[in-house]
Amino acid sequence: MIVLQNVSKVYPNGTRALDDVSLQIEEREFVFLVGPSGAGKTTLIRLINRDTSPDSGNVFVENTDVTRISRREIPKLRRRVGVIYQDYKLLPGLSVRQNVEFVLKSTGEFNGRTSKWVDEALALVQLSDRADHHPHELSGGEQQRTAIARAIVRRCPILVADEPTGNLDHATSWDTIQLLVRINALGATVLMATHNREIVDTMRRRVIEIANGKVVRDELGGGYDG
Amino acid sequence: MTAKLNVLRYVLGAAMLGLWRNRTMTLGAVVTTAVMLVTLAAFLAINDTLNEMVTALGRKSNLIAYVRDDARPSRVTEIMQDLEQRPGVGEVVFVTKEDALRIFQERFFDQRDVIDILQANPLPASVELRMDDPAVLPALADELRGMTGVFESVAVPLDVVERLVSISNVSRAAGTAMIVALTAVALFVIANTIRIAVYARRQEIEIMKLVGATDWFVRGPFIIEGAFIGLVGATLAAVALVVMYLQVAPTITRLISFLPIATDVSFVRNLAVFIVLVGLVVGSIGSYVSVRRYLAV
Repeated sequence: MIVLQNVSKVYPNGTRALDDVSLQIEEREFVFLVGPSGAGKTTLIRLINRDTSPDSGNVFVENTDVTRISRREIPKLRRRVGVIYQDYKLLPGLSVRQNVEFVLKSTGEFNGRTSKWVDEALALVQLSDRADHHPHELSGGEQQRTAIARAIVRRCPILVADEPTGNLDHATSWDTIQLLVRINALGATVLMATHNREIVDTMRRRVIEIANGKVVRDELGGGYDG
Repeated sequence: MTAKLNVLRYVLGAAMLGLWRNRTMTLGAVVTTAVMLVTLAAFLAINDTLNEMVTALGRKSNLIAYVRDDARPSRVTEIMQDLEQRPGVGEVVFVTKEDALRIFQERFFDQRDVIDILQANPLPASVELRMDDPAVLPALADELRGMTGVFESVAVPLDVVERLVSISNVSRAAGTAMIVALTAVALFVIANTIRIAVYARRQEIEIMKLVGATDWFVRGPFIIEGAFIGLVGATLAAVALVVMYLQVAPTITRLISFLPIATDVSFVRNLAVFIVLVGLVVGSIGSYVSVRRYLAV
């Protein structure tokens, strides 16, 4: 569960990214976050894994106010929230499998048991047979699927995606969405920021629209433009 | 527990990998550290030698207070007991008139007729001080000169003492300044190496942070890299020091045997251990500073 209460965030250059935003996302929901560039979508996503902090207001993730946790607790939060980015953020020197393992190694959780999790994640994103390839040998869609495998390998209950299809072509975008829907069906809460009108209009899920830092629409089964 | 071991293994592995990937910088930092530590060691050895000289020559420069013939022996004994308690004073010896005469006769064998002619013993008894710290001599001499009822006169090799003390002070100050400067250079070089390592791995660091790696998991490898550079540099310096000691020290001792050069094994061993520790500490601090500054985790 993700709850934002009266959250405002102004960047040092004066940009008002979020202006008194309140919203609530239930467990296992699938939510699209839409709005023009610079509306505050990325800021909202970064608040959830405490990649940034609001100037005022509270952000609850699984009943913990993440604006109040100490530095030492941030890793714990991030291990519960998988994040997917438009630019994938893969490590170029590591293979697909190593990129996924990297998450577990970074937290000291890599062992015989969790190496099975890697296999499962790679199978889910259908990259088992490309596990030894390096990112530069993969297509954009495959790179994004690697990033998704990395985000879910720890079985995070929450998955947030910032424009995951932004660099992908039409067909590949649909593959990626299908994957996120499956992950949602397996039990994860999914919040996806997107510009992809077609996907939002077709999926008819809950849509939260942000403009100029404010929530201007929050509609179940909505389309891109309401 | 196994998670902790896994983390440790990862951190060590990442540190070694980082050093290897960055090997040119690593080598440069190691060599700089080694050079700075060899210089430091050489300086400590020279300083130690100078201190030894000051002390040794200071011991030879006694203060001699000549006792009046009419001074009360009990008063002289009292003063001597007091002097023995003073800091910097090594040994207090009383030389009787008879001793003085005998010493005079031994030393000036061919002139003993002079004494025979006088028939009485003209030499005064004296209190001789052997000093541990020659720096306190001048004040002590003034004090004894003030006791006119007891002492006829006080003889101090003042100029020699003062010069020695000032040489020793200058060398100590110069040594400290040099050590501070060299340590700063080594710290800077190591911190810079780590900064470059942080920069080279910024992508990896960002991802580690985003997937929930702890601060120490991210910082650990860099701190260990710095410590490793310091340790290897220091070990090289220590080896160089021991080789120099084995090769050079005997020659110097033979050539200038009067210098109390610190050539004993325990001194060199202690110095080597000290240098290794300094390397380790400087390396760790240098990388820690860099990680704190350039690694905003």
